[in-house]
Amino acid sequence: MTENDHSSTDDQTLVRAAQKGDMAAFEELVARHRDKLYARAFSMMRNEEEAVDLSQEAWVKGWQRLGQFQGESSFGTWMTRIVINLCLDQLRRQKRQRTESFEAINEESGGVERQMPVVVPNPTAELERAELRQRIDQALNQLSHEHRTALVLHEFEEMEYKEIAKTMDCSIGTVMSRLFYARRKMAALLAGLKKEDLR
Amino acid sequence: MIAYETQLKIQALLDDELSPSDARRLAETLAQDPEARALLAELKGTKAALKSFEEPFTLPETREFFWSKIERSIQAQPERVVAGAPLWVAWRRFLVPVSSLAALVLLALLTLLGPGGKGPEFEAALSDPGAFTYRDYSTGATLVWLSYPAENEFAQEEPTDTIE
Repeated sequence: MTENDHSSTDDQTLVRAAQKGDMAAFEELVARHRDKLYARAFSMMRNEEEAVDLSQEAWVKGWQRLGQFQGESSFGTWMTRIVINLCLDQLRRQKRQRTESFEAINEESGGVERQMPVVVPNPTAELERAELRQRIDQALNQLSHEHRTALVLHEFEEMEYKEIAKTMDCSIGTVMSRLFYARRKMAALLAGLKKEDLR
Repeated sequence: MIAYETQLKIQALLDDELSPSDARRLAETLAQDPEARALLAELKGTKAALKSFEEPFTLPETREFFWSKIERSIQAQPERVVAGAPLWVAWRRFLVPVSSLAALVLLALLTLLGPGGKGPEFEAALSDPGAFTYRDYSTGATLVWLSYPAENEFAQEEPTDTIE
């Protein structure tokens, strides 16, 4: 079967073919979902090189575990979960290796977000789309990986609190706190408040 | 200042994660407290901003180059058990140690429950965990039990079943 033959085949059929060892079918699946996986890895890692490496690793793992894929979720969702887990493992390794900054410790202990001034009116109302995108991108960069991951999993992957807790290996209460902090800090950053205004 | 628990409940309401009874109680709080309403509005604004944020990221590598790296990595990995492979292949790693353990237990029972006098002995060669030797001195019999197929460096050799 050639690549062209696969281009019109649905994911389910490609997965079945790949499960039987058809590499060309798997290559088509990679081509279809690679941007989505890379985007998810980038949104969590905020580093292009790491995102490429981790999405590549996810595809290799996906091939190895293809026999376990039962079709309960879409293939794209299943692969995205693999890349999310790889990113979390990498972020945990990085965290163990570095000395946490004072700010990160403060964030984890909570409290800052409770005193932040409420941003009214809607901080994003006046922004052009391109500017909004840029601000969101910058704001995501400024969050700690725990807060960013909670936000990414909830807003982009549409996971419920319980599912996020399971994925991040923490309690639902921690998920709620991280999500709350992340949103409040995002609101402040999007509104263009200076860091000292948040204290 | 709104209590932290209430702040989290306002967020849970927005995320549709609040129980109906809590949602009713919170509705009353929201009706009376402008600060609570302002917080809900802010959280809604952030959520909406993120929802509209479609990540424009595309993989900065060509299809061919990216796939070639994946293909190389896959080929460097041990062969995957593909769907439809004989069940024996998948269970082999599990069955060998379990059957070895069963043999050990059986031989131990024979030793304990056997007739008096010099009882039978069994031993396992440390260099080959798949092989056990059983000796019964009363009958002069020796039985060597080998796992099959072997999981060691002798796997390619012809298997020996029983030596008497």
